[in-house]
Amino acid sequence: MTKNMLSVTGGTKIFYRGTQDERRALDGLNVNLAPADFCIVIGSNGAGKSSFLNAVSGKLPLDSGRISIDGQDVTRLNAHRRAQFIARVFQDPMIGTAPTMTIGENMLLAELRGKRRGFSFGLTSARRARYSEQLAELNLGLEKRLDMPVGLLSGGQRQSLSLVMAVSTQPKLLLLDEHTAALDPRTAKLVMDTTVRAVEELKLTTLMVTHNMEHAINYGNRIVMMDAGKVLVEIGPEEKRGITVSDLIDRFHTKSDAIALQGN
Amino acid sequence: MDVFTSFYGLIPVTIAQSLIVAFVVLGVMLPFRILNFPDLTSEGAFPLGGCVCGTLIAGGVNPFLACFVALICGFIAGCSTAFIHLRFKINTLLAGILVMTMLYSINLRIMGRTNIPLFTYDTVFTLLAGALANLPWVKILIVGILILLVVAAMLYFFMSEKGTSMRAVGASPDMAEAQGINVGTATIIGVGAASALSATGGSIMVQTQGFADVNMGFGILINGLAALIIGEAITGRQTILRQVLAPVVGSLVYYQLISFCLTLGLAPADLKFATGAFVLLMLALPNLRKSGGGFAVREKVRE
Repeated sequence: MTKNMLSVTGGTKIFYRGTQDERRALDGLNVNLAPADFCIVIGSNGAGKSSFLNAVSGKLPLDSGRISIDGQDVTRLNAHRRAQFIARVFQDPMIGTAPTMTIGENMLLAELRGKRRGFSFGLTSARRARYSEQLAELNLGLEKRLDMPVGLLSGGQRQSLSLVMAVSTQPKLLLLDEHTAALDPRTAKLVMDTTVRAVEELKLTTLMVTHNMEHAINYGNRIVMMDAGKVLVEIGPEEKRGITVSDLIDRFHTKSDAIALQGN
Repeated sequence: MDVFTSFYGLIPVTIAQSLIVAFVVLGVMLPFRILNFPDLTSEGAFPLGGCVCGTLIAGGVNPFLACFVALICGFIAGCSTAFIHLRFKINTLLAGILVMTMLYSINLRIMGRTNIPLFTYDTVFTLLAGALANLPWVKILIVGILILLVVAAMLYFFMSEKGTSMRAVGASPDMAEAQGINVGTATIIGVGAASALSATGGSIMVQTQGFADVNMGFGILINGLAALIIGEAITGRQTILRQVLAPVVGSLVYYQLISFCLTLGLAPADLKFATGAFVLLMLALPNLRKSGGGFAVREKVRE
């Protein structure tokens, strides 16, 4: 058996436990990803997709269950401790970057993700040169604007920057939280293409939450379909090739009808 | 021309005073602008620094050591405010008011009375300049060099790896956390350092004015805020250099303005109202310019 890069076992998170408003955000979630898996997470609103990502990133501590990354148990690590393994691109371009800081400073923050930060000077000329090189691959001209505050960039530019920041440090796990949802279709496509190129080139183990069925079909090698805090359908690499949107929707309905029939 | 000669005569004294208050303005700027943590602890940390330093000097302690102890006490006060906010989710302003209020009793307890005269004791100024210590220009030189060192150190720090991450905490806490920065620790240390600056200002102030008083620095926070706003209007905030220079520039200009208004005949009793009105105007200005009625969108700060 190959070693899992990400393994979530029995992940459970219940909000307002014991009250009328009790809500099971995650209900015995089991997900295993092999190294270099690119897993797409889909599901309707409230299915637990964001909770899943937040549980993995450490933002949402589990009530029970275990999470391990590359064989190391991280269940009890805070979000900022887990950052040494995980890079994340948020849905909101405003959150994923520090708007009042410059492009160069944002790159610096990302480069030192999960590393010890010292008192030495931050943006050295060697670093600036390296950041310019990394940003030049985006073809957005950002490499010439290292000293520009990120807040002046467009949403698409900021998401592209976030992506470079996330992948440039070879994270063990890349979390993409509907990172193209807030962009116009053309920019979304651009960011998505950059994402795929980076993920494939660097063989990053990736979890991508999306509402876009086309994305689920076209990208990645695995699909996890969530409902009520559980994995409803899991589609592996062999099965995923050649799958269509209607196949996906059928699988979803068959499964949820089956559950409904069992009176669950 | 009488007004101008008397204003002119006051310039050196005012510069000396504004350089001391510049410590407090730096202490107001750091949480407010860098950490996005509106903090009121300065109002209590400034007299705390003064009271601790005054009590120690009157007790025969070396003035340099007394200043250092005052700094540490200020640091602890600031850390407490940040901790109260982070641990108990109490609004930053309320946490500051709580600490500031409690500090008043602590300051009284430390001094054991409301006022300690220090005229007969050695201060850092008499140790450094001997008989010349009371000349305003000597004070300007000593405090000026000190504030220059502090500004240079802050500038370097905020461009270092650690300082960059502290700024990230204020700019975007979610992003900072995702980059592996401990938001809580950075906030506590940052707010602590800010109050340490205010307390240092207080400790220098008592040595120049020759006494420590539990009521010293009443309203210093609003003065500091006014100075910061003036400074930022002059230097701008685009780069970290400008942001760090703003408090010092603002303090120098603000106290000259005050001194000018007083010599023109502004009653000292009206000073706090005038300062408050000025700060209000400056904070309201961006929203006044916007067309359309209704309430302005709340400024995005941590609560």
